[in-house]
Amino acid sequence: MFKNYFKIAFRNLWRHRLFSFLNILGLTVGMTACFLIFTYVNFETSYDNFHSKSDRIYRIVADLKTPTEVINGSGPSWAVAPHITEFPEVETAIRVMQNVILFKKGNVKFNEPEALFADPDFFTTFDFPLVKGDSKTVLTEPLSIVLSETLAKKYFGDEEPMGKTILLTGDQLPATVTGIMKDFPENSQIKGNVVVSMTTITKKFNARLNDQWANYSPYAYVLLKPGTDAIAFEKKLPGFLEKWNGKEMDQLQMYPTLFLEPMKDVYLRSTRGGFVTGNIKNVYIFSIIGFFIICIASINFINLTTARSAERAKEVGIRKVIGARKTQLVLQFIGESIIICMIAFILTIGLIALLNNSFNDLSGKVVSTGIFNNLQYVFYLLLVALGIGLLAGIYPAFILSSFKPVTVLKGRFATGANGNLLRKSLVVSQFAISTALVIGTIVVYAQMSFMRNQDLGFKKDQVLVIETNGDSGAKALKETLKGLANVNQVSLSGSVPATGNPSAYSEIENIKGELQKANLDLFFVDFDYIPLYKMEVVAGRAFSRDFMTDTTQAMVLNEAAVKMFGYTSSEQAIGKEFKQWGREGKIVGVIKDFHFQSLQQPIKPLTMRIEQGNMDYLSVSLNTSNLQSTLATIEKAYQKNIPNRPYSYYFLDEFFDRQYKSEEKFGTLFLNFSLLAIFISCLGLLGLASYSTMQRTKEIGVRKVLGASVPNILNLLSKDFLKLVAMSFLVAVPVSAYFMHKWLNDFAYRINLSWWVFALAMLIALTVAFLTIMFQTLKAATTNPTKSLRTE
Amino acid sequence: MNSMIKIKDLEKYYRTEEVQTVALNKLTFDVKEGEFVAIMGPSGCGKSTLLNIIGLLDDPDGGSFIFNGIEVAGFNERKRADLRKHNIGFVFQSFNLIDELTVYENVELPLIYTGVKPADRKKRVEEVLEKMQIMHRRNHFPQQLSGGQQQRVAVARAVVNNPKLILADEPTGNLDSSNGNDVMQLLTELNDQGTTVIMVTHSEHDAKYSHRIIRMLDGHKVTEDILV
Ligand SMILES: Nc1ncnc2c1ncn2[C@@H]1O[C@H](COP(=O)(O)OP(=O)(O)OP(=O)(O)O)[C@@H](O)[C@H]1O
Ligand SMILES: [Mg+2]
Repeated sequence: MFKNYFKIAFRNLWRHRLFSFLNILGLTVGMTACFLIFTYVNFETSYDNFHSKSDRIYRIVADLKTPTEVINGSGPSWAVAPHITEFPEVETAIRVMQNVILFKKGNVKFNEPEALFADPDFFTTFDFPLVKGDSKTVLTEPLSIVLSETLAKKYFGDEEPMGKTILLTGDQLPATVTGIMKDFPENSQIKGNVVVSMTTITKKFNARLNDQWANYSPYAYVLLKPGTDAIAFEKKLPGFLEKWNGKEMDQLQMYPTLFLEPMKDVYLRSTRGGFVTGNIKNVYIFSIIGFFIICIASINFINLTTARSAERAKEVGIRKVIGARKTQLVLQFIGESIIICMIAFILTIGLIALLNNSFNDLSGKVVSTGIFNNLQYVFYLLLVALGIGLLAGIYPAFILSSFKPVTVLKGRFATGANGNLLRKSLVVSQFAISTALVIGTIVVYAQMSFMRNQDLGFKKDQVLVIETNGDSGAKALKETLKGLANVNQVSLSGSVPATGNPSAYSEIENIKGELQKANLDLFFVDFDYIPLYKMEVVAGRAFSRDFMTDTTQAMVLNEAAVKMFGYTSSEQAIGKEFKQWGREGKIVGVIKDFHFQSLQQPIKPLTMRIEQGNMDYLSVSLNTSNLQSTLATIEKAYQKNIPNRPYSYYFLDEFFDRQYKSEEKFGTLFLNFSLLAIFISCLGLLGLASYSTMQRTKEIGVRKVLGASVPNILNLLSKDFLKLVAMSFLVAVPVSAYFMHKWLNDFAYRINLSWWVFALAMLIALTVAFLTIMFQTLKAATTNPTKSLRTE
Repeated sequence: MNSMIKIKDLEKYYRTEEVQTVALNKLTFDVKEGEFVAIMGPSGCGKSTLLNIIGLLDDPDGGSFIFNGIEVAGFNERKRADLRKHNIGFVFQSFNLIDELTVYENVELPLIYTGVKPADRKKRVEEVLEKMQIMHRRNHFPQQLSGGQQQRVAVARAVVNNPKLILADEPTGNLDSSNGNDVMQLLTELNDQGTTVIMVTHSEHDAKYSHRIIRMLDGHKVTEDILV
């Protein structure tokens, strides 16, 4: 019996090649897309699962309440981790700080942007296995280094690294390799390829750090003892801060609150940043897209199969006459649908294997090492394929097997009107989903383009930024560059837009004439900074060499800061007093707000002051003529002035836009999956169009004999389908508007959802649908009517 | 001889939106085992409707239909299918072969549904194809055969299960006279071997092959010509 079914199934597939092809292609593409999304979602949700104690590890984060605002920070102050171990509930507490460190081995220099400083319990708390060295002691001594296997290979080749010396930073401190660790897994929230003992900082550089309660910086984690109630423990933390730091808090009027974030939630759910951050919203969005795509593919399947049911009616009739039971027929048709799904399954596996690397590139990380390394996924996929075969096969199977032999064998069989209704609503939902995805894609891209083209309030083009990392040669380099032909201006500063900047405890005279306390963002700059970046001075003046006091007693605010202290016009702020980090003086100028962070963030109050030391960034405003030779000259000047560090530079506009990397990835993924959804929907439409055209061949013939023109016929055939597509648009608009509005809410500066987004999506959907249908109908409309009439 | 089919006051209506058509109107007659009966009458008088009910493809709206001593009017679809596949073979005017299956596979199909073992199936199918002189075409598909050949395959398929009853609805309607005679010859041979045959036809010539002609008009029997 089964052999017979198989035979019939395969011959049917072959006889109706176009349908089979569309069916299998749609399913394959759908399952592939869905599977890739599954791997992505699965990966995103797998962060930090590999730590055996991850259920007991929490990240400690701090809010800081100042008189004017509450700052949601990430790291608590330096003193928290060393002191929190006084609680019996706490097993270990670790500070982890990422830093750019310059290493020197022999004469070779390496700049490691992902270097970590960590407290001694790092390797006993987290499951980062050591290949060499003792996890309990590797980080105990100052100047101890644990290298990742990759880095060990890079530095030492085949040499034994253990016990060897590497020089650290510009100061060239000799550090000893005490351990080799496995490279951190991709799905780790802590990123780094070398770990330096935190004691290097706390013992060698700043012995008081461990007791500094108002100095915020590194990330901190605690491992709680088994059975500890984290919520109850969290409630004890205010008392803990009060006990150690109460006095200072009152004095500064800065009140921190500590919170515990479960380690597993940090990557996807924390809004406080991290080494790497994901977004639970994106995970949900992609899961929904994946589900939609598989729905679209299944709908195709149902549509194409039921559309063809009339053709199979005769077979059903004959089988029934011969004695087939209804259940046997149902099984036969479900079997056929499963066979199709199995073919699609095999193709899907192949396609996934092919696409693995491109998908990793697309998502920007190694999401999967290949399907054959995850055989359980192959199994899941098989189940999904079987499930689709079953679900999508059931409806057509029951439709087909319920045909009455008496009716169908008489040839009186007409394609049921109810079947049509179902098919139509399925097409509508398919296109609704696709159109919604198109709208989503347009919104994401429009927002991206908006962010890129937004006036940021400063000059970002033709500005080269050189990382000087506070090297002592920075000032000399600035002087050298100033003299170059194609260099317009040079400025040395502690921050440039998008690099991040310190914030400082400040007191500024407000509208009432009192010194108001606040924690304010702070840029260290020099005299050339404001002119170089063409920032607009809206009141007072920029820093000037003409005023001796500017280097020690002057401050420039942005408009947001002016507003914060209650002034209604920028002019009012000029000449007011400030105290900040050991400096006292007057506000000399106000600059127009500029985006020193990404457009996701609102512009915060900012202070600027002159700093004369060697700072981290050298901004160079360039003339673009002879760019190549200018760049070469600059590099040469760098090597001469800062021989100890590798040359690292970037153009500011690119660097600023790099902040949108994850949105960009999101956009690309979104675009790709929308294209797939549209593609699959079109396959279904193509199938239906060709089917209905086939059915109406005779009608078309008669109409043409009666004088209908080709455009008449095209109109006749496309109208119904285009109506469906238009209807789907009505479903898509509210749904996508709702979700995209939510998505846009993440951006402080965003586009409005205007009508053209929807109009464009509608246009795209209609065009694509029309072209698809045209492909089929044009053929029918242009055939000689005598041909089609003869077939009857 | 026993009656194989006892039909009494059989009724069948077709309801369309407004009109109700009476297809069978208090029809009564018997068919004995081993008989060859022809049913004749003008187009639309209810012949095919009757044959479908006898063949258990359709259910009557009234009256009684006793098949082999069992009242089958009111049987559900599944019971009818089971009774049908063991007892009844069909031959249609339009052959009704499955296009996706070869000659051999088409003939084999009823045996599959009655659960005959593969080895026995092969034997049975080859025997029947041999008898219908269509063995040389066993691996062809229906579209590759002439009408006469297709009808021979259809007859082969109808008899492969050794049914007690063969129902033929205008079996020669789509054939030229020589192919038509071949088919009638086949039916006669089957009847000689003991199979009961009921045949609907418009051809007086074909009807002469039967033992008895039932003439119908507007859904009931008008006359009966006993030929043998
Ligand atoms: N499915 C149906 N729906 C409505 N009326 C039907 C249906 N099938 C048959 N009829 C009607 O029932 C009557 C008997 O039809 P039937 O097919 O049995 O005639 P017939 O004697 O076989 O005719 P022919 O010699 O043309 O094949 C006709 O009037 C026909 O129109
Ligand atoms: Mg008839």
